Amino acid sequence: MPDTQWEKVLWKSQPFPDNYVPDSFLSSLRRNANFRPYSYWSLVLASCAIVQQLAVIFIFLAIFVNLKERTLDPRILVWLSIGAFMLGVTIWERLDYHKFDSLSRRNGCAKIAKSSILVFLALLALSPVLKTLTAATSSDSIWALSSCLFVLNVVLADYSPAAPLGMVRERLTSVLSMNAAISSSVVLASRLSDDASVFALMVFSVQVFALFPILRHRLQATPAAVRVVITALLAGSTILLALPLSIVVAVILCATFMFVTFIGPCVLFWSQKYKNEIRGPWDVAVPKVN
Amino acid sequence: MERTAIAMICDFFHPNVGGVESHIYMLSANLITRGHKVIVITHSHPPDRVGIRWLSPGLKVYYIPFPTIASSATLPNFFTFLPYFRTIILREHITLIHAHASLSSLAHEGILHSHLLGVRTVFTDHSLFGFDDAASILTNKLVEAALRNVDAVICVSHTGRENTVLRAQLFERHPVVASDEPLRPSQYVNNNVYVIPNALVAERFKPDPNFKQTDTITVVVVSRLAYRKGIDLLVATAPRICAAFPNVRFLVGGDGPKMVELLQMREKHLLQDRIELLGPVKPNDVRSVLVQGSIFLNTSLTEAFGIAMVEAACAGLYVVSTRVGGVPEILPEDMISFANPEEDDVFRAMSEAIRIVSEGKHDPSQAHERVKSFYDWGGVCERTMRVYDAVLKSQPRDFWTRMQRTLDLGRFAGPIFLTILVVDCLFFLFLEWLMPREDVDFVRIDWDQERFIEVAHETQEARRGRRRLG
Repeated sequence: MPDTQWEKVLWKSQPFPDNYVPDSFLSSLRRNANFRPYSYWSLVLASCAIVQQLAVIFIFLAIFVNLKERTLDPRILVWLSIGAFMLGVTIWERLDYHKFDSLSRRNGCAKIAKSSILVFLALLALSPVLKTLTAATSSDSIWALSSCLFVLNVVLADYSPAAPLGMVRERLTSVLSMNAAISSSVVLASRLSDDASVFALMVFSVQVFALFPILRHRLQATPAAVRVVITALLAGSTILLALPLSIVVAVILCATFMFVTFIGPCVLFWSQKYKNEIRGPWDVAVPKVN
Repeated sequence: MERTAIAMICDFFHPNVGGVESHIYMLSANLITRGHKVIVITHSHPPDRVGIRWLSPGLKVYYIPFPTIASSATLPNFFTFLPYFRTIILREHITLIHAHASLSSLAHEGILHSHLLGVRTVFTDHSLFGFDDAASILTNKLVEAALRNVDAVICVSHTGRENTVLRAQLFERHPVVASDEPLRPSQYVNNNVYVIPNALVAERFKPDPNFKQTDTITVVVVSRLAYRKGIDLLVATAPRICAAFPNVRFLVGGDGPKMVELLQMREKHLLQDRIELLGPVKPNDVRSVLVQGSIFLNTSLTEAFGIAMVEAACAGLYVVSTRVGGVPEILPEDMISFANPEEDDVFRAMSEAIRIVSEGKHDPSQAHERVKSFYDWGGVCERTMRVYDAVLKSQPRDFWTRMQRTLDLGRFAGPIFLTILVVDCLFFLFLEWLMPREDVDFVRIDWDQERFIEVAHETQEARRGRRRLG
């Protein structure tokens, strides 16, 4: 062993062979440097958003079945939708209360009213078209297509909480997710028997698939208790709606909700012990610009 | 070391331009002048760069007709290279292959096939990779599989070696523990992983002898204008430096996606007369750009070796660089200033460098002489030949060991790559039957450097004689 100290430099010719491994080898390796372990309950809380999305889809499906079987009057559904819309707008306003002054709020209200009336009228005019749009397609294809689209909706939905300040930034995936759900409701609407039902279903689908995710985004910034209550309400009403249709479906739904809320986070929590993040000087540095 | 026939295998070679390409060419040229036989195997560049070509000084290049998928890399498919590979290795009497670059699938395939022909393997890794995204997880597994049975690995910097050892798992996973003392790295890291840096031709990067120190200090940046080269840092710091030092101007060579941001920055701060953007610079013109300045700024976010900085230092520039990857190893502290990849720190390091240069503490010609003594291709070639020698003298692994080592890759990757290894053998046997060795068109006359010099002399003499007569 030569007396001279080995140095980690290339420009100097050193009295060591090229395959010499110094004792300082990999001394700059850091494991799990910025690793913050999740706590189980925070994961459970975060999974509430997924349960809400699933519940909303199954509520929609239950209502569709009721409309198709003519056990629900479409007019009631339209009024329910309008009521839900009012409630949603009110909650939205409450959450945004401290951000804007009264003038811009009034402007915002006028805008919302205008665009909602427009959508309402457009859907009313389009419902005969939507009804016959995929009428020629066989029912089997419709069921398969709509279930695929709903799966896409669940997979692509944006479950992240809203940024604390500033406007909601729409991601491409969340837009795709909304489009998948709306298309799914359009193809389902062709199975209904009259224009009023089609109209009611489309109004409801715009409520739950276009507007609710935006609200849910906001709700995720509210205290945990509020979120838990809303999730429980939605999940409970889903099961209540599903029970008269099919007990098997209700049981499966129950199991799914349990799995997503309690067992899924458990698996993620358990798998954290396998986390092995390696960092070292070879990583691409992140530039810090003021 | 006696005369050896070596095949360099890589997807990246001339007519492409880059660090790996020039490394392979310079190493081959130096090996040829030391009397070895070297060929290069790469993929073709249709329409005109196809077939077999000769490059000076007697380097034979096989351009294999494989289509490329992205950034001049071919599709990894493990088998289609074998028919070409077998024929070339047989007809050229190759005894050792030297594969380059971890994203080159030709290189991986070469390492996979060579044991069938009893050819030994050396691999050089030129770049650094992370571990935390899907692309690097996949490519790291491919590299690990390829390097499972390689005879020696060369890395271009110590940081690069640490990275490669981790990526390709080039260590004993279950070392025998003899005592309670903690294991020293040399006891479990494979002893066939070498560090041999890149080099440069110092004569091509001489400082300008007519360079006069004026009040104006020119900062040179020569780089691909991409995110990985830290152009965001350049965009952020250049206006601040211009504002703080009225005698500083910038000269930026290179092109890339971040060009727009540089142009916008120049316009926004009205610095058109102080920041000159040259656009793409040809490799031959780099020196003429470098010698116009006295400080070289590199803001890379990752760098295995950083040959551009060595070239700049060789041309007599003082270097300022971010402290990333293998950069801290390449130059002594008094020729380079380091900064963390942060706007404020780059500004601090640049101010320091401007002070050093304006006080005349940095001597270009002395810097040139020093870099010349640090890096030269002759030394790199000698060190590489020592690796070849060690590989050729070592005992090759038998097939059973290869299979076991491949199976050790992992629960999923192990069986997959074992299947590939076995199918590759069957394919080889099929080729032996389909294209018998007797039918291979063997190369009988190799390039003879001495004979070439002789012929060149004779021609010159004859021409001189004719002129005298005429």
